[in-house]
Amino acid sequence: MRKFLLIAMAVALCLPAMAGSKKKANKDTDRFRYEIECAGNGTQGTYLIKVWSYSKKARVAAEQCKKNAVHGIIFKGYTGGNGCVAQRPLAKNPGVELEYEEYFNKFFSDSGEYYKYVSLTSAAQDIVKVGKEYKVGVVVSVQKDDLRKALEAAGVIRGLSSGF
Amino acid sequence: MKKLFIVSVCLLSAMMAFSQAKKPTIMVVPSDAWCNANGYMKAISNGEGSTKNMPDYETALQSDMDLKLAIAKINDLMMERGFPAKDLEAQVKMVAQQNAEQNLVTSKAGNEMAESPVDQLLRVAKADIILELTWNVKEQGPKRTLTYILEGKDSYTGKSIGGSNGTSAPSFSADVAVLLEEAVVANIDNFNNRLQQYFDDLFTNGREVALEIRVFADNEAGIDLESEFGEDGTELSEIIDDWMSDNTVEGRFSKLGSSENYIAYEQVRIPLYNAKGKAQDTEGFARELRNYLRKAPYNIPVKLMNRGLGKCILVLGEK
Repeated sequence: MRKFLLIAMAVALCLPAMAGSKKKANKDTDRFRYEIECAGNGTQGTYLIKVWSYSKKARVAAEQCKKNAVHGIIFKGYTGGNGCVAQRPLAKNPGVELEYEEYFNKFFSDSGEYYKYVSLTSAAQDIVKVGKEYKVGVVVSVQKDDLRKALEAAGVIRGLSSGF
Repeated sequence: MKKLFIVSVCLLSAMMAFSQAKKPTIMVVPSDAWCNANGYMKAISNGEGSTKNMPDYETALQSDMDLKLAIAKINDLMMERGFPAKDLEAQVKMVAQQNAEQNLVTSKAGNEMAESPVDQLLRVAKADIILELTWNVKEQGPKRTLTYILEGKDSYTGKSIGGSNGTSAPSFSADVAVLLEEAVVANIDNFNNRLQQYFDDLFTNGREVALEIRVFADNEAGIDLESEFGEDGTELSEIIDDWMSDNTVEGRFSKLGSSENYIAYEQVRIPLYNAKGKAQDTEGFARELRNYLRKAPYNIPVKLMNRGLGKCILVLGEK
């Protein structure tokens, strides 16, 4: 019984710390504190990218990479090189994030829709210790065609044939 | 009266909201440079003893599988974006079919279908926006790289809409078809971004079209573009300029050249919707100018020749 109580207390103490890391990671996403690089030419309808995220906990950073990948494809785009073609962000208007703040808050929430459009290509991670935090890089595949269609349907971005 | 006004405003707003601008057609064709490099050109006599080299799309499509694959891939990706393209092969076949029918159809009295030389000239595969595709494979020892260019052009104004290009990573094993497919898939989004910018501009500043005014020689109305009208003797070309200024978006158009027999307008920005709130193309715009010139005090007969969504020719003096 005493053992159980100790474990419960330990979990109760750790949870806020984890939640705090997660909250900070979400803030970093909002502030574009992540890096995206091309990891090769994806198959039709996808972008293959490597995302680097930061956190004091390597596990949180790795998990945040998926969110950052989708965020980056919508708002940031990435540069080319080494046989990769540079891609512009799906949202051409930089003010769209503020304009549709409510939509994106829900979209990027921890159980948000963003999860549908990203998948890890392998479990391999690159972990670099930078000062007091970790920089974690993972390669993910973003279903950009499906993502674009969802944003078009929500009226966040214009489709090619909008207005015709 | 107030009620009637409110109802009219509501109706007009509803028409504007639900009417759609006329959608430009797009078609992917191999560029002249690619056709020339691969031997798909044919000499066409211009009837004056000299010949001109033109791309032979039919032979190219029948002989080159890589071309067919690239066109099919781009068409597929455009369809995915909700903007299906015209298929070049289907268009080429349709033109051949039309030519065959034209030669065979006669009336019961044995009369052939009326067709002017201009009609013959216009019966070719065409679209409002042409996507010109070029690629070239370079070999360095066992390595192969593919350079790829996709360029969009407005068929009527000749303006470049934008393009995408790039060189693939060197490959030891991939064949041309695979390299080409990779290049198309990797570059199409950048091309579509340019196309989107072009459409955004079109919605903001109006459709950019070209308009030509010509005069029939020794016409029955006895006019040319220097003919004077009104008490102050305003020349016809000035009257047309003023009409253009009043009816284009923010009076935007430029005059490429003019004489007593011809005026060429380009970069004419016409509104996407007419005064009734209906979608408008160049023919609709030119028709309004024709109606203006037909009325008093000018009373000029005008022949209107449509050259697609983006170009019209008005010939003054006769029908």
